[in-house]
Amino acid sequence: MASTEEAEAEAGAKAPKKNVSYPLRILYCGECTLPVEYCEYMPNNDKCKAWLEKNLPSEFGKIYLGEKSPEGGDTGETDKKGRQKRGGRGNIKIKKKSEPQGVTIARVQRNKKKYVTRIRGLATYDIDLEQARKFFANRFACGASRTDEDEIVIQGDVTDDIFDVVPEKWPEIDEDNIDDLGDQKR
Amino acid sequence: MFKKFEEKESVTGVTQLKSSAQRGIRAKLLDEYSHCEDYLNQIVPKKEAMKIVKCHDHVEIIAIGNELLFFRQRDGPFMPTLRLLHKYPILLSHQQVDKGAIRFVLSGANIMCPGLTSPGGKMAPADKDTVVAIMAEGKEHALAVGILKMSTGDIASINKGVGVENVHYLNDGLWHFRTVK
Ligand SMILES: [Zn+2]
Repeated sequence: MASTEEAEAEAGAKAPKKNVSYPLRILYCGECTLPVEYCEYMPNNDKCKAWLEKNLPSEFGKIYLGEKSPEGGDTGETDKKGRQKRGGRGNIKIKKKSEPQGVTIARVQRNKKKYVTRIRGLATYDIDLEQARKFFANRFACGASRTDEDEIVIQGDVTDDIFDVVPEKWPEIDEDNIDDLGDQKR
Repeated sequence: MFKKFEEKESVTGVTQLKSSAQRGIRAKLLDEYSHCEDYLNQIVPKKEAMKIVKCHDHVEIIAIGNELLFFRQRDGPFMPTLRLLHKYPILLSHQQVDKGAIRFVLSGANIMCPGLTSPGGKMAPADKDTVVAIMAEGKEHALAVGILKMSTGDIASINKGVGVENVHYLNDGLWHFRTVK
């Protein structure tokens, strides 16, 4: 570690450093989204490691193979200097990447004999709802509207077709992930 | 400020700014970040249309295109988002915490004085209420944006309690709010 004088001079860096041009390019982790140097603090560090090794092997080498103890924590040299242990939590939560929740479809009666089909859950697969809406409108040649954050309503009863069309268009959704809720009141 | 922030719930509206309002904000940014005027012209080009994302708790975020740039609460100072700060670290003065503090900062805790004054910490002289970048021992990039609750001089001499309020940190709600639709 640098001596205090040097340290202070360095930390004062509000003025632009020489030989550096901005904007900097930062390597963000494809798994946890943080700059890769902070992956070690994330609960799913194993996944981060795997991602980095696969996508940026040279960075992986720098971060994980160079040093023996990547876990910053309360261990290591800083402790030897007699710093007190810190209490409290310090729990880092992973932002739930809204796990795919499955897709639900329901038939909603509009008039005596008219139905609309309501689809929810597509957004949990990271599907662009606006594109999905267009696709349904085209495919079924009927009106389709986006009625909520993650809800599309298609005019007419197309529940049976959904089971074929959705897995075909979005292979990540299996037929088994689609749940037919049957007739629903709106 | 963004611990519980959720794009779906916390954003109340996005509006395109009128050019007069845009000029006002630009002037305020130039005033606050006068030490990097050239870069500010890169970040907020004169002719680019600005959007303002209004959120709960009187938080407003300035965006250009679909990139979120600066935010503020009520009439407070404009603060850069971490993604912007990573690109232009010179926007703010740097205060460094020791390794042991990193996981607390990443869980949203305020920065306690000892984390800044211990051997792994470093401070750049600054007054109370200054917006600062929180850096970390052994790391290259900022992990949080905060506001000094006491001057760095007081942090060094008092060395107790909260030194910097943690306003925006890696992995919080604003971090995960990546683009404006
Ligand atoms: Zn990661």
